[in-house]
Amino acid sequence: MWILDSAYREGGVDLWSKGENGTVQRIHHAYDPPFCLTLPDPDAHHEMLVALEEEYRAEPCRFSTIFGECEGYRVFAGRPVAEAIEQQTGFAVQLFNVDVRRDQRFMAEHGIVPCSTDMTTRFSPEIAHDLKIMEIRIKGNPSPTRSCTAIEVIHDRTEHLAGSEQEVLFDLCTLLTSCDPDVILMPHADLWMPILAAKAGNAGLTLPFSRNGKYRSIGSRSYWSYGRVEHKDAALIPDGRILIDTEQSFVYREGGLAGVLMGARLSGLNPCLVSRLTPGTLISSYETYEAVRRGIAVPFRKSDAESLRKLASLRTGDRGGMMFQPEPGIFENVDEIDFTSMYPSIIVKANLSPETIRHTDTEKRGFLPIALEPLLDMRIATKQRKKIDPSLAGIDAILKWMLVTCFGYTGYKNAKFGRIEVHEAITERSREILLGAKTIADTLGFAVLHGNVDCLWVQGSPVTALQDAINRQSGLSSEIDHYDWIVFLPLKNGSGAYTRYYGRLADGSVKVRGIAARRHDTPEYIRTMQAAMLAAMGRARTVSELAGAWDDVRSIYHQAAERLPSAPAGELVISRRISRLNYSHRCIEGAAVDAYRKSGTELAPGMKIRYVVRDARTYRVDPAGSAETFDLPYYRQLLEKAWDEIAYAFRAGRSRSGGSGWPAGGSAPADTEPMQGLCPDEF
Amino acid sequence: MRVQQRSGAMLIELSRGITLQPGTFTAVIAPEKKILSALNSNRDLQRFLFLYVSGNYSRILTGISRTSGNFETRRPFTADQLLTVIQESGHTILFVEHDPTLFDGAERLYDPVASALRQAGRESLVILWAPASDRSFAALARRADRIIEIIADNTGDAGHGIPSRRSCREQGRASGAQRTLEVS
Repeated sequence: MWILDSAYREGGVDLWSKGENGTVQRIHHAYDPPFCLTLPDPDAHHEMLVALEEEYRAEPCRFSTIFGECEGYRVFAGRPVAEAIEQQTGFAVQLFNVDVRRDQRFMAEHGIVPCSTDMTTRFSPEIAHDLKIMEIRIKGNPSPTRSCTAIEVIHDRTEHLAGSEQEVLFDLCTLLTSCDPDVILMPHADLWMPILAAKAGNAGLTLPFSRNGKYRSIGSRSYWSYGRVEHKDAALIPDGRILIDTEQSFVYREGGLAGVLMGARLSGLNPCLVSRLTPGTLISSYETYEAVRRGIAVPFRKSDAESLRKLASLRTGDRGGMMFQPEPGIFENVDEIDFTSMYPSIIVKANLSPETIRHTDTEKRGFLPIALEPLLDMRIATKQRKKIDPSLAGIDAILKWMLVTCFGYTGYKNAKFGRIEVHEAITERSREILLGAKTIADTLGFAVLHGNVDCLWVQGSPVTALQDAINRQSGLSSEIDHYDWIVFLPLKNGSGAYTRYYGRLADGSVKVRGIAARRHDTPEYIRTMQAAMLAAMGRARTVSELAGAWDDVRSIYHQAAERLPSAPAGELVISRRISRLNYSHRCIEGAAVDAYRKSGTELAPGMKIRYVVRDARTYRVDPAGSAETFDLPYYRQLLEKAWDEIAYAFRAGRSRSGGSGWPAGGSAPADTEPMQGLCPDEF
Repeated sequence: MRVQQRSGAMLIELSRGITLQPGTFTAVIAPEKKILSALNSNRDLQRFLFLYVSGNYSRILTGISRTSGNFETRRPFTADQLLTVIQESGHTILFVEHDPTLFDGAERLYDPVASALRQAGRESLVILWAPASDRSFAALARRADRIIEIIADNTGDAGHGIPSRRSCREQGRASGAQRTLEVS
């Protein structure tokens, strides 16, 4: 039984499975699970308990939490009853398993794993399936007022549907019915679905996206994630099929279909939902599935607060990861030692979990280490296998994201199995590990150029000896990336930037972090220019060879600068995620929000907007679709900034070599000077 | 904030003519600088068991210079946790730095938290502080014995002048020896 979808329907769980003969069938399982409660003084609530027994079937029971066994009651009722109990007990009650998704809970309790043949393959990176896939591309932006007259449908072959809206929709419905795909990949599906449903209704058609005519809906929302506001559109999810919004889905973007299926397999949620989750919710769902599978009740509210602590203890503990500031410049033969999944490894190795944090000497392993260990093992193995089997890249990416966020979730206020002390203990150990690694490197005669939480950049040899010593001492595993050369960029004040660098790896590729080519808001025109420069530089194996790339790089800049006045406005679109709708001071982003509003587009915090700056001085901005002209000086400034990130390498190279072998005409790098307003002929 | 003991009773002078005493729950709206100065300047405050409760992000905790062993902190990240913290507190002074984000989606806890503050205020000195009122603060303050608002003067009361982590990081220096930084 290969589960491709699940839903809670009419007092039970519908499981949609694909059989070996290729047919998809729905099996309904009656399922009405109870929630659990425990009270500090049950006698004080005797009347309420009697009423619960009589009205909803409540019975005394013992159940397990991560902190141990509890005496309490199981109540066969839903969330409204649980919330009424909270009110009636003055919030003295502790509730469990109230908000666990019922389809997920059913599968966890019954040992069922979605997108897998059985539980034994759950932690295998192999995703075998014979799902029929269809891709639907609707021309134009999703808008209720725009006619839907051209659709490209890709299945066994590519079909172009064109004509009147009614004809196109009829053809689409016919194709869907005849092809009967299991997976529908559709850019902006969540925006298109309600529009298509309305248009089909007007045309007297019924959209056959759902296999039984039923849809689940998810509301739109804005939320905070890692310090910024994100927005998620509402979604209409069909029963019995996997519908992925390929444009909006983070999981799909990072992991492809295999990543979505793997996310479903690990979290016990249906793939449609998984494709709409953040990695944080994915790891949280994975932990919930693991808890239910192990018979551990999942708390409804987070009421166990941080322990009492002295101010000094708070100041010592409430710190993040360690960084060593790099010296700006260009360096040759540098190795980056990168701890593999450092934070989750610390959780597992140091047995860090809410119930063990105050008893670190305990023999008993905590819930988090137990739950995360198989995921961590799988990631380490997949990361290795990915090197010879690139098809595992998507699955590796999803595992990586899940493990990255599992650390953040330990400190997240709504994490079911989080606790701030665990979060702090993890970063404390990470600081010790990085400092320890630096000490070993110093002792073995290596030069430590830079350190960033779980990475160390060193010069020296043999690096494998250093790696072995660090791995031995930390108990963690690490990987090495060798740079033929690497450039650490300066801050405006001349000191080294922590997260802005680029360099040529041993395989000839150029790794970039924090510069224009990597930033999400960089206009395509500028990104293309910088990418071309980096490609030219990537052909140089050594710093001295890099000097030879100067003419190519400068020529790319000249061409880009010359052609900028005639560049299409579409290539100068700036993409930003807005954090708010009202701005107290005049700024480009605020002007862009106003421009969107004027064009009739409704915005919400967390949404991405795309705009072109028409006149930066007077804050005139046009939404991407309607932009015709742009502010040339403004974009020239952006171009020069991107150019300067590249030119710095040549200034640094010249400074490093004392000028010999490097093109004349430029001044030596002045680390203390800001990198602004360079003449293109200099570097 | 001056602490006085008259006939065995503790009195805290928050501002000239405004005293707080045990057995009360007071909601205070005051500039950060004023509160920080009050917390830092009074030595007598160190003699009492003091619990500082902040939320997800504290505006002034990093500026507090109390070193006394009597000064303790606890950080609830949800309204449910805040309720637990208040109910478990046995301190002489309970100071709650209001964090409205705790109540996002937890409006059901306005009344229980306000009641818990009032209950704690029967035996302790309970102060609920915010630099400005908001919906959740107003809901909690409804159960307070007193609401005190101290208006900011024009001497830069808006903040306590502690440089942000970013500004610390970017303070100019010539490139030289390697520095370390801790990041969240």
